[in-house]
Amino acid sequence: MRSPRKVDARSKINGSHKFIDDYIFPDMIYGYLYYARCHHGYIRKITFPEEFDLKNFIIIDYKDIPGRNIVPEPEPDQPFLVENEVYHYGQIIMGIAHPNKAILKQFVEKIEIEYEELTALTDIKECLEDESNAFGREIIIDQRQSLEPRSEWIKTSAVYYTAHQEQAYLETQGMIAIYNQDQRSIYVLGTMQCPYFVKEAVEMIMGDKITEVVIETAEGIGGAFGGKEDFPNILAGVASLLAYKAEKPVKIVLERSDDIVITTKRHPSRVEIETYTDPVTNKIRKLKIDYRLDAGGYLTLSPVVLSRGVLHSFGGYNIRDVFIHGRLLRSNTPSNGAFRGFGAPQAFFAIESHIDKIAGDLKIDPLELRMKNILQKDDRMPTTQIIREDHILDCLNRVIEKSDYKQKYIEFQEYNQHHDNKKGIGISICFHGGGYTGNGEKVLQSKVKMTIEKDAAVNIYVANTDMGQGAHTTLAQMVSETLDHPLNKTRVVIPNTSKTPNSGPTVASRTIYIIGNLLCDLSLQIKKEIQGNLDEYVRSHNTLFPKEYSRCFTPDPTVVFDDKTYLGTGYKDYSWAACVCEVFYQTSIFKLDLKKIWTVLDIGIPVNPKIAEGQVEGGLLQAMGYALTEYFYKPDFGRMHGFTDYILPTTLDTPEMDIEFIHTDSDFAKGLGEIPMNYPAPAIRNAFHHATGIFIDEIPLTPERIYENIKGKS
Amino acid sequence: MKFIKPSSLPDLFDRLQNYEGRKFFLAGGSDINIQIKNRMIRDEPIFYINHLDELRGIQVVDDTVIIGALTSYADIISSPILKEKLPFFRNSLKLFASPLLQSVATIGGNIANSSPTADILPLLLVLDAEVRLLTRSKLRFIPINEFYTGYKEYVMKTNEIIGSVHINIDAEKNWLAYYRKVGSRQSLTIAKLALAGIMKLKENSITAIKIAAGALNEYPRRLTTTENYLKSKRKEDIADKELKEVLTEDITPITDLRSDKNYRFDVCLNLIKEFINSY
Repeated sequence: MRSPRKVDARSKINGSHKFIDDYIFPDMIYGYLYYARCHHGYIRKITFPEEFDLKNFIIIDYKDIPGRNIVPEPEPDQPFLVENEVYHYGQIIMGIAHPNKAILKQFVEKIEIEYEELTALTDIKECLEDESNAFGREIIIDQRQSLEPRSEWIKTSAVYYTAHQEQAYLETQGMIAIYNQDQRSIYVLGTMQCPYFVKEAVEMIMGDKITEVVIETAEGIGGAFGGKEDFPNILAGVASLLAYKAEKPVKIVLERSDDIVITTKRHPSRVEIETYTDPVTNKIRKLKIDYRLDAGGYLTLSPVVLSRGVLHSFGGYNIRDVFIHGRLLRSNTPSNGAFRGFGAPQAFFAIESHIDKIAGDLKIDPLELRMKNILQKDDRMPTTQIIREDHILDCLNRVIEKSDYKQKYIEFQEYNQHHDNKKGIGISICFHGGGYTGNGEKVLQSKVKMTIEKDAAVNIYVANTDMGQGAHTTLAQMVSETLDHPLNKTRVVIPNTSKTPNSGPTVASRTIYIIGNLLCDLSLQIKKEIQGNLDEYVRSHNTLFPKEYSRCFTPDPTVVFDDKTYLGTGYKDYSWAACVCEVFYQTSIFKLDLKKIWTVLDIGIPVNPKIAEGQVEGGLLQAMGYALTEYFYKPDFGRMHGFTDYILPTTLDTPEMDIEFIHTDSDFAKGLGEIPMNYPAPAIRNAFHHATGIFIDEIPLTPERIYENIKGKS
Repeated sequence: MKFIKPSSLPDLFDRLQNYEGRKFFLAGGSDINIQIKNRMIRDEPIFYINHLDELRGIQVVDDTVIIGALTSYADIISSPILKEKLPFFRNSLKLFASPLLQSVATIGGNIANSSPTADILPLLLVLDAEVRLLTRSKLRFIPINEFYTGYKEYVMKTNEIIGSVHINIDAEKNWLAYYRKVGSRQSLTIAKLALAGIMKLKENSITAIKIAAGALNEYPRRLTTTENYLKSKRKEDIADKELKEVLTEDITPITDLRSDKNYRFDVCLNLIKEFINSY
């Protein structure tokens, strides 16, 4: 295990690395997404400002679409452009372009739209509480064992809520589209996670007006976190249509104030859990979960977020009698979408908080309850999948030992009796399935390609993007180490759909786990062929090169998942983690601070430990923001418009972090990207409960929420 | 947008005569640049003044510490004069915004922007600072306590500029001082509320007290009713209920995206108690 420096480190530090807004093409003009300022209603009249000459602007609406007005991926139910009925605030009505950015801005500010307003559902709780808002795609896992609860069993029930979360990528959404009239082709350059989704989108909106679409990513992608999984489809579609009509390159880069309003967020959730626990054995005997997400205006990614959420909702526990009901609810707000964790952070917030609630009812240490019920070797998940090792137990044992949890649990209780300010300590445990859910990877059939040049340079072609997470360094390192070839002669080529095969989207913690391991397989195949040193082989067989190699993902035939019953192997391999959080609560200002977090993860073998550690640090901090400060919507005040009030943690807020990787079974790299986001929030909540004895079922734990909770009770 | 860069301070005053009405003065730009970008400033003239070095710097003249309007927070924090003469004032500003903003944001700009949440104002209020206002031919001193008249309103006229801030050299000497800013995070945060206070205690009696709050009224101001209630009280005679009542006279917290009025009120109350009980 080595940690070579990221391949893009130097150019990012000296500023030469190019992001989408750094690209300029001859005759390029600027585009703007004109979006609805109405939650629900019909467009009655659009008035353009008279002082501008409309001839100088390129304006497109749904009537200009030559293809179909439907975004194809992930769930084809959302139009590119509003046809008549606006279904949510921020929905895109028109694309507008002009050679001068400043004039464009003045023009769009003065456009007036008259709406016939209809009833709109914009409040999160109003949406989540009312089952009649459910729209399609419910999931049921029914593993009830006709077990009648005994009278002595303790019934514990509660409802848990989580809020929106903004991905807050440093670089906003942006695309440049260029139409080539002679070749009837469109080239799109942009910041994105899924070039092939974008390709399908442009093909869909352009229909038979074009014969070829090429999508390329900018050299640099300034963060994504899931936020650039589906929105780029719409953006690229509109940019392409503008470029087609203008016959000039069109660049659209969103301003932050627009980006934050119209793009996807993490789904707010309402998760109701009911359990029965035997107070003699401290075993949880029955578990019932009602898992709901506010999907927003359209389904888009929500069905797959729901399936991952449901398949993680039962937590790392061995409970035999389980009933889980997952649903999506509809509101008149922008569709919620992908965000690191993908339904799992909501699931773990609920189950891990609930475990502490049961422990409170049983009057035992939450650690003891976890130890009694934790998934161990040969146990079964409610989906019937069998656990092969003590993965999560090993993680938990190690983190308990490192953090001195047992001692602190007692010490802090003593401290709190004599101090106004309080200390607390809390636990959470978690897992995350790598790759697409269920049969997803079988359907995807990812392909990778490598070329070996005449000078023995190895070029890797994968559609997975490096958005700052270091994927292209790690993937090149995997090939370099397997081939035993220098890293500086091994590189990942910037994804371009004209030469890069479809290796699927850059999502679901699958890039290293699926694509990296597929590249390792291909490298082994090449190694077998050359039988020795690659440099020497290329020199002695120079006429054979350049040569192309490729490989397709072969699913494991023993992996079976039933899409109807949701039983079987939800994910072939899981990553596992446990954490302990230590908090400090300032009573006079009702403020909770995370002081230290210890975490132990089993992600198999990390390829580049430094990059892996960086991923965990970032995820923990993002999860801390989720737990303590980040909310996007406030009743009576609506949604936020920027980072003044949407509170992300800064460097000074960063707690001390102790990160350790262990590995229990797998001798390869498993998924890592998402798991660190899944579990800190409930551990922080549980630590607050330990510190104050106050049980709050909702995050973020802002001082105002803590205050309301205390006042409401007194 | 009209942008003017005068060659000197006299040139600034000359040119100011050509523009009636509202105008803006650009120094560090940490507020104004955002207001320009968000089109809150559209047609008003903007005078660039950050190069007028006679408005910058910290000095002691007789019994007064004079801080030039263009002095940045970084300069204030690193000033040996302030470290020696007004350590409480200086230390309280360490958590202002972020190191990046501290190096560009100026004291004059912070006062002129007149945000109800400006971090420095509660401090200037309890230290009885004065603002020196300049025009082409006149200068006048306005106590900071009388500077603001309403939300983003002040007594400064449109042809005046802030020249400097004056604080008595002994303003915090022999006083027990307290400052606390409550924000959503450790840095780069707009105050939900802030409280500054200085007091004198004799045995357990409060012989003198000045308290000012930020983000709890349309502009930061002294809590005079509360001060009067606390003055000459023994610490143990302060009744929670009475304190709450007097505080109601002094502050008008609101609910916004950032925080809630009841939270703001109760935390302000807690901070006043924390201030008094910390000595």
